[in-house]
Amino acid sequence: MAAPGGDMQWCFSQVKGAIDDDVAEADIISTVEFNHTGELLATGDKGGRVVIFQQEIENKSLPQFRSEYNVYSTFQSHEPEFDYLKSLEIEEKINKIRWLPQKNAAQFLLSTNDKTIKLWKISERDKRPDGYNLKEDDGRCKDPNSITSLRVPVLIPMDLMVEASPRRVFANAHTYHINSVSVNSDHETYLSADDLRINLWHLEITDRSFNIVDIKPANMEELTEVITAAEFHPHQCNTFVYSSSKGIIRLCDMRESALCDRHTKLFEEPEDPSNRSFFSEIISSISDVKFSHSGRYMMTRDYLSVKIWDLNMENRPVETYQVHEYLRSKLCSLYENDCIFDKFECCWNGNDSVVMTGSYNNFFRMFDRSQRRDVMLEASRENSKPMQVLKPRKVCAGGKRKKDEISVDSLDFNKKILHTAWHPQDNIIAVATTNNLYIFQDKIN
Amino acid sequence: MIGCAFDAQNLISISLRKIQSSRTQRGGIKLHKNLLVTYVLRNARQFYLNKNASQAQRSPPYEDEVAVREKQDYLELTGSFTELADDFYCNFTGAEADSWHCGAHQPHGQLTEMPHQDASSCALVSPNDSDLMLSEACWSCADKSWELPVPNTQANQKTVLDLDTHVVTTVTNGYFHSDCCAQPKQPQGAQCHRKRKMDTSYFIVDPEFYLPDFVPVPFKRMRSDDDSHSDSEQLDNTNISNLISVLGSGGLSEFVSWQQTDLEQIFGTQTICLKHTLFTGSGWTRAIEAF
Repeated sequence: MAAPGGDMQWCFSQVKGAIDDDVAEADIISTVEFNHTGELLATGDKGGRVVIFQQEIENKSLPQFRSEYNVYSTFQSHEPEFDYLKSLEIEEKINKIRWLPQKNAAQFLLSTNDKTIKLWKISERDKRPDGYNLKEDDGRCKDPNSITSLRVPVLIPMDLMVEASPRRVFANAHTYHINSVSVNSDHETYLSADDLRINLWHLEITDRSFNIVDIKPANMEELTEVITAAEFHPHQCNTFVYSSSKGIIRLCDMRESALCDRHTKLFEEPEDPSNRSFFSEIISSISDVKFSHSGRYMMTRDYLSVKIWDLNMENRPVETYQVHEYLRSKLCSLYENDCIFDKFECCWNGNDSVVMTGSYNNFFRMFDRSQRRDVMLEASRENSKPMQVLKPRKVCAGGKRKKDEISVDSLDFNKKILHTAWHPQDNIIAVATTNNLYIFQDKIN
Repeated sequence: MIGCAFDAQNLISISLRKIQSSRTQRGGIKLHKNLLVTYVLRNARQFYLNKNASQAQRSPPYEDEVAVREKQDYLELTGSFTELADDFYCNFTGAEADSWHCGAHQPHGQLTEMPHQDASSCALVSPNDSDLMLSEACWSCADKSWELPVPNTQANQKTVLDLDTHVVTTVTNGYFHSDCCAQPKQPQGAQCHRKRKMDTSYFIVDPEFYLPDFVPVPFKRMRSDDDSHSDSEQLDNTNISNLISVLGSGGLSEFVSWQQTDLEQIFGTQTICLKHTLFTGSGWTRAIEAF
């Protein structure tokens, strides 16, 4: 079966990360993000590190091999901290990375852990000054009395060095765990969201932020929902959405009031009473929300499905895709082993025609909206030969298992794909398994 | 895959364990996850209550059950993080209760009792999930071997997870039974007639409980680093005293700070009616009150 996107077939391109089966917790990938051109691909992990890959220039003599991604920069973004007052350890895990639009030669990204957001500048240095009058080449100072003539220092080529430096640290604004950051289309402000509040920042100002959403009840005993994700509209700088653990998405307009506790629009689909169970609230909790590139639609991911919403229709989604419906009868076990709390992300392709999300057993799914087709693929070392075409996978929910199908009871729930990213302009996808990053591309016919 | 815990009571036990283990997880308590767990607890409890209510209608009456049923309309679980600090529970040895069965409540009102009902397919009796403050019928204990007299006052029943034995028990408020516990006891001053609201945030430790950062006001506020520093100095004295009474000197890493001693183990299966009391010194165990 051809993959969504017409005659496109997905092929293995690269895999990054250790091959060992013994995975160190610090190496677990926690976020993946392409920059706006797709030239750079950033990953964050539980150890607080950020690794940036850069796409090499296409090899024109070998057109079947689209350019590869190689390590561009690696740096430690966040360190573990300890809040002595609350006796709480603050994890260094990178929850989100968001790239800023490029304005000059340097690249900027925001990275956040549970409490602190940092703005990093990634710049290249391929020249160095040479010929100082008062300094030796190794930096030692010269004796001024030994100088007999003066010369003008010049810049000479050197090996490319990529430097990452923290330019801003936005701290002390979140009591609860940060789950989202989103850069505004004005390129000057961004929002950060935790479980109960959303703050608006200016990229240049670190000592203050504006609280724009606060859903904390006066009495915490009355808490019924938390914020799970938030994002700015891609074009309207006054508009943002945030999702909740109750499966509700609220769209807010910052022009209406300073405090956006009252939503402009509320998107909610009535629950199907026939599906009611002990775990209804858990599986309806939204784990991710993403605007389409056009800005007309948004996509939400809950535990079992992906939904596409038209911003002009609030009462139900326009499209619903079941990611792994065969898990509905297994919710009890998934609750026991905590898998039911996994937060899957979702992403759009460049022209909003296909959406992608992850599942278990290192499976991930793509849904072609225009052709109404979907496919499930697997990221595995066994399918890692260069340009090997990925074979569609199927899960057998019950009854007789066909050849090449995998039984739902055989799924490995420790192998989960929570984070995926799609190149903004090309058919290249990045899929993060536990500690490996797989890059797939469409086969060039 | 791990075998599924089928009945509601197992779900309750699992949920309480999750809440307890969340306190020791790196990064602090996850508010989102704990909130979702409380929803499961509430759903399981609703199911359990309705099952027991239907069982009570069909079972022969027992002394304690009659007394408890008379109080059905009155029982209202109330409580707060503060009140939890005043409640201490002890596990007692006692006769085995009959095996607990999960009865699925059928939508048409007919009750079907079957062991080990698949919890994931159990239809909830009440689809109303918006109201977390419930006043419900009290639970009835099906154990006819118990002959503990129930005082002629309002009875409160709570589900308690013993953190050391991991046994879920149903605790009935009342007077202390001297045969059940070998430890010195001291009657709790306010335990007999306490009303507790169904508090799903019992186990949610609000990081701002003792450190309010700013007063909620309906306008866009600027927060500066100066504000956060000054806020840290404006401690809520009431909350601090409550916190200390709950936590002792142990800090916030424990939901409740308890002295640990040798424990009285409970024989038998999971649903046993108990009497609870507060006593000082050794001989009491850690427990998390569910609802």
